[in-house]
Amino acid sequence: MDCYIVDFHAAELGVGAEVALEDSVMRKGLPAKAGSKILEGFIAPFDATVVTRLLDSKYNIAGRIGMNEFGLPSLISAGTNDIYDAVKAVSAGVVSYALCNDVFGVYRRRAAEEGICYLHPTYGTVSRYGLVPMACSMDQIGVACKNPDDCFGLLSVIAGNDPKDGTMYPEKSYVYSKTGKELRIGVPAAVLNQADEGTKESIRRFAAGFTSTDMELKYFDVYKQVLYILTCAEASSNLTRYDGIKFGYRASNYKNLNELYTRTRTEALGVEAKLAAIMGFMVLSQENYIPYYEKAMKIRRLIKESLRFGEYDIIVLPTKISDDSYENLSLFALAPLAGLPSLSFSFKGCGIQLVADAKNENALLTAWEGVKNEI
Amino acid sequence: MRYETVMGLEVHVELATESKLFCGCSAKFGADENENVCPACAGMPGMPAVTNKKAVELGIAAAIVTNSEITRTITFDKKSYFYPDLPTGYQITQWFAPICKNGWVEVETTAGKKKINLKQIHIEEDAGKLIHEGYDTSLVDFNRTSVPLVEIVSMPDFRTAEEVVAYLEKLRSLLTFAGVSDCKMQEGSMRCDVNISVREAGSDKLGTRTEIKNMNSLKAISAAIAYESKRHIDALEIGDEVLIQETRGWNDSIGKTFSMREKETAADYRYFPNPELMPIYISDEWIDKIRVNLPEPAVEKYVRLTGELGLPEFDSGIITGSKTLSDIFDDVTKHFNKPKEAANWIITELLGIAKGSNKGEDDIQIDCVKFAKLMELVDNKTINRTIGKKLLGMVLEEGIDPAVYVAKNNLGMIADTGVINEAIRIILADNQKSVDEYKKGNQKVFDFFVGAIMRKLGGKADPKVVNELLIRQLK
Repeated sequence: MDCYIVDFHAAELGVGAEVALEDSVMRKGLPAKAGSKILEGFIAPFDATVVTRLLDSKYNIAGRIGMNEFGLPSLISAGTNDIYDAVKAVSAGVVSYALCNDVFGVYRRRAAEEGICYLHPTYGTVSRYGLVPMACSMDQIGVACKNPDDCFGLLSVIAGNDPKDGTMYPEKSYVYSKTGKELRIGVPAAVLNQADEGTKESIRRFAAGFTSTDMELKYFDVYKQVLYILTCAEASSNLTRYDGIKFGYRASNYKNLNELYTRTRTEALGVEAKLAAIMGFMVLSQENYIPYYEKAMKIRRLIKESLRFGEYDIIVLPTKISDDSYENLSLFALAPLAGLPSLSFSFKGCGIQLVADAKNENALLTAWEGVKNEI
Repeated sequence: MRYETVMGLEVHVELATESKLFCGCSAKFGADENENVCPACAGMPGMPAVTNKKAVELGIAAAIVTNSEITRTITFDKKSYFYPDLPTGYQITQWFAPICKNGWVEVETTAGKKKINLKQIHIEEDAGKLIHEGYDTSLVDFNRTSVPLVEIVSMPDFRTAEEVVAYLEKLRSLLTFAGVSDCKMQEGSMRCDVNISVREAGSDKLGTRTEIKNMNSLKAISAAIAYESKRHIDALEIGDEVLIQETRGWNDSIGKTFSMREKETAADYRYFPNPELMPIYISDEWIDKIRVNLPEPAVEKYVRLTGELGLPEFDSGIITGSKTLSDIFDDVTKHFNKPKEAANWIITELLGIAKGSNKGEDDIQIDCVKFAKLMELVDNKTINRTIGKKLLGMVLEEGIDPAVYVAKNNLGMIADTGVINEAIRIILADNQKSVDEYKKGNQKVFDFFVGAIMRKLGGKADPKVVNELLIRQLK
C-alpha cells in the first residue's frame, strides 16, 4: 500500500485520530514546501492556527502530504499530472483526515471520484495563518475525509475567528448541525446538460429527494477565465517572495543579482507556477490591468450578486463536464470566487458538488443527512 | 536672463506606532540588526497581513492637520518590484485610494505667508536596509521592513529653499504636536526628496526635472537646492552640460549632488489592491473622535502661553517650537505651578545642559516630576539656585531624586546669618589688602569676596543674603 505521507511526524503518531497536512499547511519544525522545489530547505517557523487548534483538541498530526505545486492545477499537462495524495491517503485509510487548500477543485473532484468527500468551508471561517498563500482572496483550508459527518466535526474544531488573519468573520466558533427546514435545491440545467448521462441521472435523483427548482448560473461561461485570471494575478504576487535571497532554494551559479533571481526561479519553479506567474504579471501590467484584472474583478462581483440564495438553499453541480482540466475549472470556480462553502461526494456512483450560501454549511450538512442512506 | 526655480516635495514621515504596519513586530528605531523581525518581515509565507489600526488613525490625524479631504473608503495596494531590501517582492502602499487628497499648509517666510498645496498623503510600509560590505557582499537588515510611513506629496509650489525649509518646519510642528510622528531627520523618521527644475521667470513651461535624495538635515536640503538650481541655470546659460531627468544623491561632505540613476522608461509596478486587505471605511464618527482627541497644536499653545500664562513671546516661541520642550513644559507645570519660572529653567538651564552635551532639544528625556521638585526646592529656598543648576544636570543624566540627594549630601541652604557673618568676617580678615582697595573705590573686589565667601560656605548660602551682609560688614 502506498503511504502517501511525505514525512511522518513520528512523535505524534500512534494515538487518536490522525490528520495529515497538505504540504502548504505549516507545522512548526516540519518542511513546508507547498509542493515546490523553490521552498526546498524551508522549515515552518510556527504552527498554522488550524494545527494549534487540532493539537489543543488532542488530534494527532500524522505528517505532511504531497500536492500540486502551490495547489495550481495541471493545465499544460491536461490534468494527468495532478497530485492529490491527500485524497488517496484518506481513501486508503492511511489517515482519517487531510487538511488541504482547494481553490481549483482538484480535491473536490478527486474526492468524489475516489468515493470520499471534501468540504471546502466558507471563506473567512477558517484561519489562513500558517497556510502558504497561493491566491489570498480565495485560499481556504478544507477537510478531506471518508464521511461528511466527520468533515463537519473536524471543521468545528478548526473554524472560528483568528485575529492573525484579517479576512475572517467575527464568530469565534461554529456549531454545525442539521436544520429542520425543508431544503430547496437549485439545479442549473444549462450546466447539467454539459455532463454525461450518468451524472445527469444521479443529480436528478439527488434533487428528487428535495424540493428542487431550475435556475440559471449567470456568467457560467466565463467562470473559468475569471477564476484563472484572478488566481494567476494573486499567485504571481505571492510567488515574488521566492527570490533565493532569504530562504528556500538558491541557484548555485550566478554572477549578479539578476542572475540569482532568474536562475533560482528557472531551476526551482515548475511549469504551471511559471505559467501562473507570467499570466499574473501580464494581467496586472499597466496596459492589461483594466481589460483583464479589473474586468475579472467586476465579473466576480456580478457573479456574487447574481446568486439568489433564498429562492434555493443549495446549488447542485457535477464534478466533471469535460476531460479538459481548464474547462472543468468552471465547475469549481463558484465557491472560491464568491467565498461560499462547498461539499463534494459520490452519489449513485457519480461525483456531485453542493454549494450553499456563505456561512450556511448547515444546509450542506442537512442535504447530506437527507441522502446519506441512499448513496 | 532671470530664472525661477520650481520645486515639489515628497516627504516621508514614520508614524509613531508601537508596532509595524502589517505585523506585530516593534517599530522602534535603534534595535540591533534584524532584531525586530518576524517571519512576515523576512518575506516568509504563511502570515497574512493585518492592518495596524493605529497607523490608519495617525494617517487620519495627518490629514486633519494638513486640511486635507479624507477618502472615505481607502485601499491598501501592492506595488511590485524586485530588490533585496524588499523581502516579499512588493511594497504595500496606497495607490488607488490614498488616505487623503487636496490639503494645504501655510508657511511663513521673509517674503510673507504662502499656501503650499498638497496633492495627497498615502500610508505605506517602509523597506529594509541594505548594508554594503566590501566589493561583493551586501547585508540586509529587515528591522525597518513594514514600519509604517506616510508620504506627503506636495504640488510644485515651492520657489525658494527658504520656502522648502519653512514648509518642512511647519510639517514637523503639525505632525509632532498631533502625535503623528517624532519627525527626526537624523534618525530617518522624516525624509525629504526634492523634485527641482528651473525655467525662465514668467514662463509657464516646466524645465527638465531632477529629483534630489539623501539629505538628512534642513541645512543639507538648503545647500542641495542651492547647488542643484545653480547647476540647472549653468546648464541653461553656459550649455556645457545637458540636463536629463534623473535621480541625484546629495553628498554632504563635498557639497555636491551626483547622478544616482537615470529615470528608466517608467517601470511597471503592477499595482493592484492587496486581496487580503479589505477596503477600510472611514466614518464621520471615526474622524470626529480623532479630531477631538488631537493634542493642542503649536499655534494654539503659543497663544495660550503668551496670553493666559503671560509668558514672553520669546519663551513661548522656543517652547512651542519643539514638541519635546512643549511636553516637558506641560508636565512640569502640572507639579510646579509657576509657568514663568518653569519656562526660564527649561530655556536657560535645561537647554544649556543639553547643548553642552551636544544633544538636540528633541533628544532630551527627563523625569518631569523630579524636575518640578527641583524647581520647587529652589523656589522655596531649600537650596540655592547654583546648587539647583548642578542638580538639574544630575536629574537629567542620572535621574537622581533632588530632595533625597539634598538631604543626603546636606546641601540645604545656610539660612543662619550668624554662620554667614562669621564666614564674611574670616574672609575679610584674610584679605585686608582687598578690603583697602574696595574702600578706595574698586568695586570689582566685591565679586571676589562673594565668591570666596560662597566657597567657604560650601556654595550653600543664599547669594542675596551674602551680598546684604557683606555690604553691611564692609561699611
